[in-house]
Amino acid sequence: MKKIMFLAFTLVFGSYGAYAEMSRIDDSDLSEVTGQSGVYLTGEVSFNEEGGPSDNSYFGACNVAEKECGARLTFQTQQDGGWFVLGGIRGSISFEGLTMQIRNISAASEFGGDGQFFGRDVMQIGLPESIRMNDFQFTLATGSSARPDDAGYTQVDFMTVEMSGDMTLQGNLLVFPTP
Amino acid sequence: MSLFVQRILKLLIATTILPAGAELTSLSDNDLSEVDGAGIGLVMDDFVFSHGHDVANDKTFRITGLTSTVGEAVTVNVNQLYIARSGSLYGSDLKGVNLGRLNNPYEIDLIDGDDIGLAGEAVLQLSAPTKVDAALGYDCLSKTATLGSGECSSRPSTLAWENGERPDMGLELEINVGANVPKNLNFNVESAVFDGSYVRLWGDGASSKMAAEFRLNFYTPQLEISTCSQANQGCTSSIKMQDFELELALGHTFQPLYIGADNVTGGMTIEIAKITHQYLSDIDLTTGLSNGTSTGDEAFTFFSDYYSNPEYRSNIIIGDLDIGGTSLGSSKIEGILIQHLDVKFRDLSL
Repeated sequence: MKKIMFLAFTLVFGSYGAYAEMSRIDDSDLSEVTGQSGVYLTGEVSFNEEGGPSDNSYFGACNVAEKECGARLTFQTQQDGGWFVLGGIRGSISFEGLTMQIRNISAASEFGGDGQFFGRDVMQIGLPESIRMNDFQFTLATGSSARPDDAGYTQVDFMTVEMSGDMTLQGNLLVFPTP
Repeated sequence: MSLFVQRILKLLIATTILPAGAELTSLSDNDLSEVDGAGIGLVMDDFVFSHGHDVANDKTFRITGLTSTVGEAVTVNVNQLYIARSGSLYGSDLKGVNLGRLNNPYEIDLIDGDDIGLAGEAVLQLSAPTKVDAALGYDCLSKTATLGSGECSSRPSTLAWENGERPDMGLELEINVGANVPKNLNFNVESAVFDGSYVRLWGDGASSKMAAEFRLNFYTPQLEISTCSQANQGCTSSIKMQDFELELALGHTFQPLYIGADNVTGGMTIEIAKITHQYLSDIDLTTGLSNGTSTGDEAFTFFSDYYSNPEYRSNIIIGDLDIGGTSLGSSKIEGILIQHLDVKFRDLSL
């Protein structure tokens, strides 16, 4: 009996904390939160470098000109309408030195004098020190239905863009809430 | 276990689980339209982008998939695409530029449609820095604009603030058609300003389409279109438009812009519906005025605002047009009102 009463006591006070009302964190409270000094990312993203899924009867044959090849994203802006297509996505992007950190901006010397009137923290995403595209390509198009193996499918290609080699990209993207 | 203890345990379990079991209800468009939270501000600090086709340095940047009218393959090599600080000398001197200001950034926001004449709609808005009161802004064109000289928020590059918020931008192309000699086509703009531009997107329930309002403001002290070679971008084979202003208004609350694709031909469609009003028949077609009824008055007020509101109109102003070194003076096309637009793309090879 004592054990059961202890269990009940524990449940009452043990669950009380979890049941406490949650209160929202406002911008001011959130600005007091500090974490790690930042994150430094290096990586490579590959899209269908060897073509699409090989077990699909339509996709995947990059050496057959009349077939679709590579990753494909489609979306629709009208019910029962056609589809916008970002297709033939292939290749890879490698980058080194993508950073993420919180930065306080409040000095008059920053941003041509805007800094002293800002006086807040922002999330700073530092663009990579180096970024290289390896045979990266994609096609912009519109199509009559979602998949190219649908009956009667037609697609109007706008252009295919091919990119390779080191790109020049520098700077920081600052992200912050606005009133 | 005693009855008392069993009841306590049951009560505890019931009260602990109850909040998690509360019924969820869906959020309607109307509910969502009441949401008007903080937006997300975006500023690019010390930004440079450049990439170009340069086989010697193992760089590829080209556009393919095009054909000429006689069926020859067209390959467009992008010699350079750049965004950099003003004074880049056609993208040859790349330094960092800021895009947007901390107190007036590029912004992603969900706004209440009731505030812009779209009752009960939630509207997604992507916007450039807004225009400001002339006392707080800078002239939109001048590279030496000072505070209080105009309505643009973005500042030019100066000795005190070298980055500025007005980038140089360029697109330099080499067009290869079959075995013909390649031809160059370059677009370069200096100290560009986009203040006051925005895109608003919402769902048009009646037509089940994504509706849009698109406003592009583009100001530059010089827009240059040339056929110069990559190595000699400053040649005289060019058209220079100095003090160029474009204020393009496509779609608005009463005539949304619909961009979609055709479900038969697969071609892109761009549409702006004809302007109309539910009490259009109460306008006297002879006098062009209300027929005297209250609904006629309402329709007249609506059309009067439609035809007089400058927000619905597009303008193109060129301070000086210079072709190959010969000045042709200024040109203006003002007050363009797009009353109906229906564009369909088709693949000529089909």
